[in-house]
Amino acid sequence: MNLNLAKMNLGKMNLPKVNFAKEFKRGIWDENAVLKLGLGLCPSLATSSSVENAVGMGLAATFVLVCSNVVISCLRKVIPSKVRIPAFIVIIASFVTIVDLVMQAYLPALHKSLGIFIPLIVVNCIILGRAEAYASKNPAYESMIDGVVMGIGFMAALVAIATVREVLGNGTFFNLPLFGAGYVPMLIMIMAPGAFLAIAFLLAGMNQVSKK
Amino acid sequence: MKDIGRLALVLTLVTAVSALLLALVELVTRDAIAHQRELVTLNALQSVLPPADNEPNKDTVALPVKDSKGNDVETVFYRGRKDGKISGIAFETVAPDGYSGNIKIMVGIDAEGKVTGISILQHAETPGLGAKAADASWTDQFKGKGLGDAKWSVKKDGGDFDQITAATITPRAIVGAIRRGLEFFKANQAAIVGG
Repeated sequence: MNLNLAKMNLGKMNLPKVNFAKEFKRGIWDENAVLKLGLGLCPSLATSSSVENAVGMGLAATFVLVCSNVVISCLRKVIPSKVRIPAFIVIIASFVTIVDLVMQAYLPALHKSLGIFIPLIVVNCIILGRAEAYASKNPAYESMIDGVVMGIGFMAALVAIATVREVLGNGTFFNLPLFGAGYVPMLIMIMAPGAFLAIAFLLAGMNQVSKK
Repeated sequence: MKDIGRLALVLTLVTAVSALLLALVELVTRDAIAHQRELVTLNALQSVLPPADNEPNKDTVALPVKDSKGNDVETVFYRGRKDGKISGIAFETVAPDGYSGNIKIMVGIDAEGKVTGISILQHAETPGLGAKAADASWTDQFKGKGLGDAKWSVKKDGGDFDQITAATITPRAIVGAIRRGLEFFKANQAAIVGG
């Protein structure tokens, strides 16, 4: 009975089969944009000083990535390859501007703390990278999944970096104090050098685990 | 080059559709964004001004104030009134000499020129060090102080105001900016209160 229902649903939606577990592992671990591919390091350094900013930046970038992947995939046969890069950038910039405006209107506090980094999602190489390497060659549904898993991978990396930095550098996690008043924060961790240190240790850890 | 027409057409279509979409989103969010900006100003005004029964953000006078480079910059003075009489004035002052970029400060003063409150509107100071200057525990020390009530510099420079451990530049810049604001107010009191 349950099996039949599942078959029916699958038949109705007519979607290609995607191994979600494998896809998520690909986005978060095997091809993690920041920690494996080394893409998008600039926003990762800049917006990972608190977990709140990291989640905000991660969600904004994921939204842009999913939307731009779907649109670019739908237009992949229409856009001639000679003008694909300007066309991709226009599409990406439009979604970024939408995020920017909506955030200004409804999430002003987050917009204030992410500041200049929202418009800079346009030149985040993860987004153009996925458009070029994946969405321009694959159908819309697969591209959407790719956008979701790569976006979540980006957010996971940001949150991991931000957790290290916020806990050590400010003694808080998601703005909640963790230690007593006697804790002296390691200020360097929430400044720029702390971002490099946190990324370096996470990278080293990941490489060690992946090493067979 | 025979396909140049097609290239141009596709790019034009992509940009035109994007422009249309953005125009729609802008239309939908315009009022909300304007409202948020107004709220930010209003909140800052309420936190620095003594109680008022008018709308200080609508009762304003703009005067040219010299900035650090000697250029005239239009500065808005917000007037809080109680029973029609001016209870306080608020204005924005900029400290150009912070540790990292300009610091924008909203300063509220009463009719005698004594500070009723300050609020740091915008800064990019070091988190955990200079950024502590935005905390109420530091900004509260200005309350009740006028030009004649204190030496307007940080203690390190022989003044009356606390600096912040490991961050002297930020407090020095802010104290200086408030002092300049108060001096401007004193010199132009008639124009600000009367106009």
